[in-house]
Amino acid sequence: MKRSKSGPARLAQPISWSRFAAIFLSSFAGGITLVYLFIVLVDPYDMLPFSLPFERPILSTAQRFTYPQIVRSRRFDSLIVGSSTARLVDPQQLNAPFGARFANLSMDAMTAWEQMELVQYFLRHVGPPKVLIVALDQRWCDSRADQTLTLHGFPHWMYDDNPWNDYLHLLNGAAATISVRIVGYQLGLARERIRYDGYRVFTPPESQYDLARVRRHLWGGGEPRRPPDVPPPALSTEERNALSFPALAWLESILERVSPTTLTVLADMPTHIAAQAWPGTQAAAGEAECKARMAALARKHHARLIDWRIVSPLTTNDENYWDPLHYRLPIAERLAHELAEAVLAQRPSVDGSYRIVVP
Amino acid sequence: MLFQSQLYVLLFLPVAVLLYYASAPFLALRQWVLIGASLIFYGWWDARFVVLPVAQIAATWIIALAHERSGRNAFLITGIVINLASLGTFKYLDFVLLSIESASGIALPRAHLVLPIGISFFSFQLISYLVDRMRGNAPIYPFRAFALFVLLYPHLIAGPIVRHNELIPQLALDPRRDGLGERLGTGLVIFTMGFAKKVLLADQLAQFVDPLFEKATSHALDFGEAWTAVLGFSFQLLLDFSAYTEMAIGSALLFGVLLPENFRRPYLATDIREFWRRWHISLSKFLRDYLYIPLGGSRYGAARYVLATLVTMGLCGLWHGAGWMFVAWGLWHGLGLVGCHAWQRLGRPLPALAGWGITMLFVLVGWVMFRAGDFATAGSMMVSLSGLAGIAGALQEKPLVLAAAFVSMLAPSAHELRDHMLTPRPAYAMVAALLAIFCVLEVGRGAPVNFIYFQF
Repeated sequence: MKRSKSGPARLAQPISWSRFAAIFLSSFAGGITLVYLFIVLVDPYDMLPFSLPFERPILSTAQRFTYPQIVRSRRFDSLIVGSSTARLVDPQQLNAPFGARFANLSMDAMTAWEQMELVQYFLRHVGPPKVLIVALDQRWCDSRADQTLTLHGFPHWMYDDNPWNDYLHLLNGAAATISVRIVGYQLGLARERIRYDGYRVFTPPESQYDLARVRRHLWGGGEPRRPPDVPPPALSTEERNALSFPALAWLESILERVSPTTLTVLADMPTHIAAQAWPGTQAAAGEAECKARMAALARKHHARLIDWRIVSPLTTNDENYWDPLHYRLPIAERLAHELAEAVLAQRPSVDGSYRIVVP
Repeated sequence: MLFQSQLYVLLFLPVAVLLYYASAPFLALRQWVLIGASLIFYGWWDARFVVLPVAQIAATWIIALAHERSGRNAFLITGIVINLASLGTFKYLDFVLLSIESASGIALPRAHLVLPIGISFFSFQLISYLVDRMRGNAPIYPFRAFALFVLLYPHLIAGPIVRHNELIPQLALDPRRDGLGERLGTGLVIFTMGFAKKVLLADQLAQFVDPLFEKATSHALDFGEAWTAVLGFSFQLLLDFSAYTEMAIGSALLFGVLLPENFRRPYLATDIREFWRRWHISLSKFLRDYLYIPLGGSRYGAARYVLATLVTMGLCGLWHGAGWMFVAWGLWHGLGLVGCHAWQRLGRPLPALAGWGITMLFVLVGWVMFRAGDFATAGSMMVSLSGLAGIAGALQEKPLVLAAAFVSMLAPSAHELRDHMLTPRPAYAMVAALLAIFCVLEVGRGAPVNFIYFQF
């Protein structure tokens, strides 16, 4: 009696080329179809018109892809946008003092243009926010901000208002991975990566803090320097006119579109002095001009402007930072507290760590 | 359109193949289908560019026809000049103006023309046809077949450089002829091999190679960074270009056409002459037949040989890009070929391992010139590589560099795979299909990365 070969042995047997091509094509087409169907049914970014009805927590740290979902959930009536310099501000700390439901939608290396896109997305999908905090940083004063709109591949298709074109962008490894995680979450095998209000601590545990190492990051291996107490050099009218800050047009477009009922706060975040324009330099003069124009915009559109990006006990103390841009967790808690103090009570800083530029 | 895009793999290629086989019984129809597909493929970057290859093809064909009727070589020379003028205008005009400006100190305007993709490749193919006619080796082909010889999209953008007599007879064959299953099966596997090399290795290497070379333009790299950059680029370039070739050969096989070999594990070469028999083979053959041999080759003494080699390789460098660094790279290889030739005449062969080591070092130095962009950056990198500026730092991205080295050295070429290694077994088909699915998912993560050789 002829014995049939086992499965693995059959897979290694020579076959005709036609059959070989047919197996390849059917495996490829079948595999692609199955993966795609799995992704669109699971709907990893909670954005498709038709998908399986279950909870979709934030299971990816790719913020540009996950934050539209937070906006569309309509669970939040207020938001913070900014770069990683604002990510550590816990929205839950702001909810009670401001009487609002905050999401912190700040992203790593978020450009000014991306912040404008996100605010506009919020306005279209949720309406005017109760409180809008735009966390400013040095990118808003970049003279070439309009030449690099994004540093991380901004998914434009997620920020338009057409859910149908999203089907064209989901056949990829990232979407498949998140889909698997979502199924894992339903089975109790996976945990959310970012809290649903966008908050996530991205700095190392405080127990790992090493001041000597931090100082190397802050000062590039050189000696720590004390900033001189000098005003920025005066600029002539021609010099001032020659300065261009393209991102401020985007800032104005944000301010123009928010409702008069929105409490809008421009908060210049406290980067370490080593990351600020050094006092007394031409760069500091340019920075001062940029800040003056921001203040004018804030006044024109009835927004508040609070500036932490100054020479202060906060920004000159190396122990407050991990690196030139990122402060430590206790500083973030202090910032949230000071935000409420400065905006709601208009209380000046006790130690000069912030200035209320436009009350 | 890029071979490694989802648009190509999931839509364009299947539709083009289906239409081609649906029209297979009718020669004219299936050739028009392929011409149409090729124009869409080429025009996907910028539809305006379609005019250029079509115009050069039409002009070349009309000129060949005029030569056929009149017998006057002046027509052919005119055709060669037209094709060279097109190439020169789009690719070299600003380079020439800049060089004159640098030499004379007189400020000159720039044309700022956008380089039409693939112009170096299709211009060379047209020139080779005209030269072959001059030699009495090229008949007049019907316009449709002639146009398809140049436009056939798998090789249109970055080769392999194909000759009329290699391709046009194949285009007349019924794609359903005997061996259809084998052509489809091997084509799919070869395409997948290139797809994986491009997406999983070459593009991953680019992510650290590009920033390091960028950094080298303003800062001296340390020893580890310099070696990481140069080794990474050496593997990236081979994997990127051989991947393109494999996707081209794989795609063409699906249409029943076999394109020539372009790479045969060049980093296993034990001397520089062997390197050029393994690296960009279709270009090497073209330069040999249409430049080096007409210049005299090795038939007229040592001085003429050296001159022919240096001119050929200098122009080979210039073909790669409008810049003196490319010329320097070509001349470097020309000197290498001359030196290798002289050594081999001594009849004292080096041990294979020593020959391989010297050859690879020589090639690596060449890649520094090829990639660095300017002489200052190249010089700074040479200093870093030599350890004269210290030996700080370590090789970065070791797993990826090692994987790239392994594949670069040992992965078979498309023709080796097709002719000697691949046998039809279900397991192979499934593994290749899974690999292709993985690559489709990987490339869906972001915008596909252009092939390096598209800029040439």
